[in-house]
Amino acid sequence: MARLARAAGRGAGARGGRAVSPPLFETRAVTKRYGGLTAVRAVSVRLEPGELVGLIGPNGAGKTTLFNLITGADTVSEGRVWFAGRDVTALKDYQRARLGMARTFQNIRLWPDMSALDNVRAVLAPGPGSGAVAAVLRLPAFRRSEAALTARAEALLDRLGLRAHADARSVDLPYGEQRKLEICRALALEPRLLLLDEPAAGMNPAEKAALMATVEELRRERNLTILVIEHDMKFVMGICERIYVLDHGEEIAHGRPDEVRADPKVIEAYLGGGAC
Amino acid sequence: MGGGAPLLAIALGPEGYWWANLLVLVSVYSLLGLSLNLINGYGRMFSLGHHGFWALGAYGAGWLTVALAGTLPGPLVFVLSCLFAMGVAAAGGLVIGLPCLRLRGDYLAIATLGFGEIVRIAIQNSPRELLGGAEGLTVPRVLMEVGPETRAAYRLLFVGLGLVLVVLVAAAIRNYVRSARGRAMLATAQDEVAAGLLGIDPTRSKVAAFLMGSTLAGLAGAVYAHYQGNITPLEFGFMEMVKIFLIVVLGGLGSISGCVLAAFVLLFVEQWLGRLPDSVGWVKEWWQVEYALVLVLLMIFRPRGLLGPRELTDVWRAWRGRRAAAPGRGGGAP
Repeated sequence: MARLARAAGRGAGARGGRAVSPPLFETRAVTKRYGGLTAVRAVSVRLEPGELVGLIGPNGAGKTTLFNLITGADTVSEGRVWFAGRDVTALKDYQRARLGMARTFQNIRLWPDMSALDNVRAVLAPGPGSGAVAAVLRLPAFRRSEAALTARAEALLDRLGLRAHADARSVDLPYGEQRKLEICRALALEPRLLLLDEPAAGMNPAEKAALMATVEELRRERNLTILVIEHDMKFVMGICERIYVLDHGEEIAHGRPDEVRADPKVIEAYLGGGAC
Repeated sequence: MGGGAPLLAIALGPEGYWWANLLVLVSVYSLLGLSLNLINGYGRMFSLGHHGFWALGAYGAGWLTVALAGTLPGPLVFVLSCLFAMGVAAAGGLVIGLPCLRLRGDYLAIATLGFGEIVRIAIQNSPRELLGGAEGLTVPRVLMEVGPETRAAYRLLFVGLGLVLVVLVAAAIRNYVRSARGRAMLATAQDEVAAGLLGIDPTRSKVAAFLMGSTLAGLAGAVYAHYQGNITPLEFGFMEMVKIFLIVVLGGLGSISGCVLAAFVLLFVEQWLGRLPDSVGWVKEWWQVEYALVLVLLMIFRPRGLLGPRELTDVWRAWRGRRAAAPGRGGGAP
């Protein structure tokens, strides 16, 4: 109850500021066609700074495709993607990421043979003294930059309770820890926008509840704006302030969790699709 | 690697030429293996054009040495020719790398294989006065005169030079891999899509690995050309590529110490085969088949190489740990 009230308050605040501050992130009628198949059709999503928004829909609705269009993993057929006040449609994935857009993956995509620590360190922006020559010669500047990177990475691992696994190869971590490490690695980019693709998939209810709490805390600590794809309705309804619903690549509903839940089109899509 | 006195004793003994020659070749092939390891091991790009970069380096160094011999002090010519060889090989790496690194797996292998063959055939058909054509190029001795009395000393000089270079290059690669750039390279190799989406420029990482690998193969070529004093295109054929690849796989893709050890083992066996009596001469005559067979068996049973990405020190630690009945911490990442 308290969470709902707080969410409503924040939502109102964000709406109030909309006229003044531009959205952090926006897709303007993005469309993706693969040959004759339209995976995403004219979807416009808009996130105010600090919002936690859900993206739901039956299997094959185009949620992950939309994530790919947002992050630059795939190119749009039509439409524009805006991030932090600029049109990023023409930017490559790594360029968008460096602007502060990080994601996790539905199927875990850690770097398997690298340690948990190195998975995080690889993403952290290296400071001065990290160049190839300084590294090969192990100059003092390199040692300092390396020590700073390690300290930052360890702090992040600590934050998500992964410190004990720092030296383990990421592929050797238990499944749930791998999911957490993905979030940890995404945070290493120091993102403003965090895109979570089914972060709770495969977790048991207790783990899901813990993850929900963590995501909520991280958002407040780090002023994150979060867009999350999740199949677990309890998870989505529990933490999201707004929800977009996709079906067959189109937005069919959009609004507060209670509005979306009551929307006949959403009920139709889920019951008709037979997947819930 | 030190211990000059026993080395000297060996080199001057009756078996001296043989051992010294073996150690120089081990250094050259270690450099080749270490550099290919950057591309195929750490970088996980399947390149089969390393003999091309090696040839570019050898002929680059040879050409410049011919041009400069007598005009400048010998050691300076040697150093300049090594740098030039690295530059030529790096240029070759850029030419083949930039268009081809979009290719993956088999396609990259075929494109780089083609490149290696093109280099060899181009040299073979080059004008005689430029690179010696099919007859080969004679590289003037710029470091010291080589006669019957000084041959041992010359070999010893190259044993030292080669071993120092191997140690330097191995340390440089190890340091590079354990740095921000190195982690970007490993991340790109292990999941390129994830790397790109997490702010790492995959193309840059791949080109860097490819470029460093080809440059160091050029250095190996320069040392080889100066050591041999005469190089022919036939020495840089595809079977040499197989040898280098076998060294990398034997040692473990992504293992530095394993690579050097494998170079030693392979060349020792090869040189030793050459001394077999005629009655078992077939063992030597069939070496191409035997190498291929070893490679096939390795690929089936140990696709990441004998050691995998581990170093000899990791293996030693694991072995000691197991003896102490402590729970071993599985293969440490490089």
